Amino acid sequence: MTALTPMARRRGPVARAWAYVASFDGFTRAAIYVLAALIIAALLGSWFGLGGSPTDIVGRRLQPPSLAFPVGTDNLGRSVLPRLLAGVTTTLLLSAAAVVLAALIATISGIMAGYYGGRIGGTIMRIGDILCAFPAIVLAILVAAVVGPGSIAALASIVLVTVPLMTRMVGQAARQVAQREFITSAIISGVGTRTLMIRHILPNVAGTIAIQGTYALSVAILVEGGLSFLGYGVQVPHASLGLLVQEGAVYMVKAPWLILAPGAILVIAILAINLIGDSLRDRFDPREARSLT
Amino acid sequence: MRILRWLPGRLFSAVIVLLGASLLIFAAGRSLPGDYANTVLGPLSSEEARVELRESFGFDRSLPEQYVLWLRNALEGDFGLSLASQRPVREEIASRLPITALLAAMGMVLTIAIGVPLGVYAGCHVADGRRSAATRIVSTIGISLPEFVVGSVVVFLFSHFDFGLTVGTFVSPAEDFGAGIVSLLLPALVMAIPCIAATARATRNAVIDVLVEPHIAAAIARGETPGFIIRHHVLRNALIPVLTLTAIIMAYLLGGAIIVERVFNVPGLGSYLVLALGRRDYPVIQAVVLLTTAIFVLMSLLVDILTGIIDPRVAVTKAGPGA
Repeated sequence: MTALTPMARRRGPVARAWAYVASFDGFTRAAIYVLAALIIAALLGSWFGLGGSPTDIVGRRLQPPSLAFPVGTDNLGRSVLPRLLAGVTTTLLLSAAAVVLAALIATISGIMAGYYGGRIGGTIMRIGDILCAFPAIVLAILVAAVVGPGSIAALASIVLVTVPLMTRMVGQAARQVAQREFITSAIISGVGTRTLMIRHILPNVAGTIAIQGTYALSVAILVEGGLSFLGYGVQVPHASLGLLVQEGAVYMVKAPWLILAPGAILVIAILAINLIGDSLRDRFDPREARSLT
Repeated sequence: MRILRWLPGRLFSAVIVLLGASLLIFAAGRSLPGDYANTVLGPLSSEEARVELRESFGFDRSLPEQYVLWLRNALEGDFGLSLASQRPVREEIASRLPITALLAAMGMVLTIAIGVPLGVYAGCHVADGRRSAATRIVSTIGISLPEFVVGSVVVFLFSHFDFGLTVGTFVSPAEDFGAGIVSLLLPALVMAIPCIAATARATRNAVIDVLVEPHIAAAIARGETPGFIIRHHVLRNALIPVLTLTAIIMAYLLGGAIIVERVFNVPGLGSYLVLALGRRDYPVIQAVVLLTTAIFVLMSLLVDILTGIIDPRVAVTKAGPGA
């Protein structure tokens, strides 16, 4: 009953966001908190220098975790904690930027494919099929070969890997919406195509975009990690989680914290995002597909 | 035969996808900087020799002609010379492809042998809320374990402590098949973990869907034993969605092999591709990427045909990856 009182309806955005988070089950809430904590820690690290500088040499090499260096020092004597935070920032920013770009492309092409169908839709879907024919990391390697190793290669690979499935799912959803009566009636009333797509179709496929975008984020972190691990993604002196795992793998025996810390954060981030994605899917559309990559 | 109604269309789209992919791979190779003849013959070579080499590889012709030539040679198994070793790419691929194929096949076997029973068990015990939640969290953890993290940790654990298996020492299956299998066991398991989790989850959902159907109730009413019902009624129907998943898993294993081979020092196609990327050896990159893509597209075609034979209800509209 309380939800219907006027007071409750006039809640601010923060309170509403809090209520939305609270509406999920325990696992998902925990996942949201963990992800939020990671983002806050990354922001504190890059804005306020939490943990110190990620590039300065501050102590002896390969020191185990201590009070001064909570995650120890690396092979050059840099403190690992700020490097981890910088890595989280790079990985999350890069992945999020790539996913936003991919979602934009997938939304436009998916709605076009779903609405027009026929030759336009067929062509868009065919291009997606061709991109789907490459295993994710193989496509990433091809991209890295063309544009050269670096953040751009990672960004472009993530977009190319995530766009096809997203386009297909948005296209299917848009197709279902486009066949409903209210679209026909809108066409008859003389609503322009652009308005029709933005005002009538887009809100009805927004759930699909949210679910696929969440899954795409976990794929993005995997692809960035894999490519950087192979040495063709983010380059030193920058840090990303995949790059830190690769660096850590060299000193695994002497300094296991170098690989365990970024590895654990990577797994936790992907796990949290997958849990949130599953919850969104259960809520909006249980038939949504996900990719394994 | 209903299969004949959709098979030609499916074959046609597989050909289109392969052609499109090969065009993309060709374009990527041609967009790389550097002159092929210059790289192969060295900067001190004579101009005539370079012109001759370019002609013999068809680099003096127009791009569409070059593409057709490259594709025709590739179909015959001729991928040109490696820039780094000056030897035919085909030789190197011939020695490495079986290793990666074996690794991927082992990954697939592990996926099905572990994932399906787990999924059936979980699907038959959904009524237990706590166990259901445990299944969800465990399977989500499973698909969230990237092979480069798990692989590195496994290498660390197995080189630090003695578990009876050695890591990083590859034994060629051609010389000693048994020892070769053993040396590939850990890499295969590492890259199979996410696939096992995904398969278990898909099987579980399929089993849940089948269990509520009336013919299961009828079987129980007839007094058939649970084991018999699971084997004869549940598995047969539940395996169809799992079969469609195997195409996606194949792609994952082919890609995962690249990283796992790197981590575990396995001289397969994947480590060849990474090596070639470091040397910008683009004939090798083109060849390996084309081969991987072709294998994947043909495998998903095979999966679709199998699904169509097992389950005639499946229409080909349910296009999978590479469809």
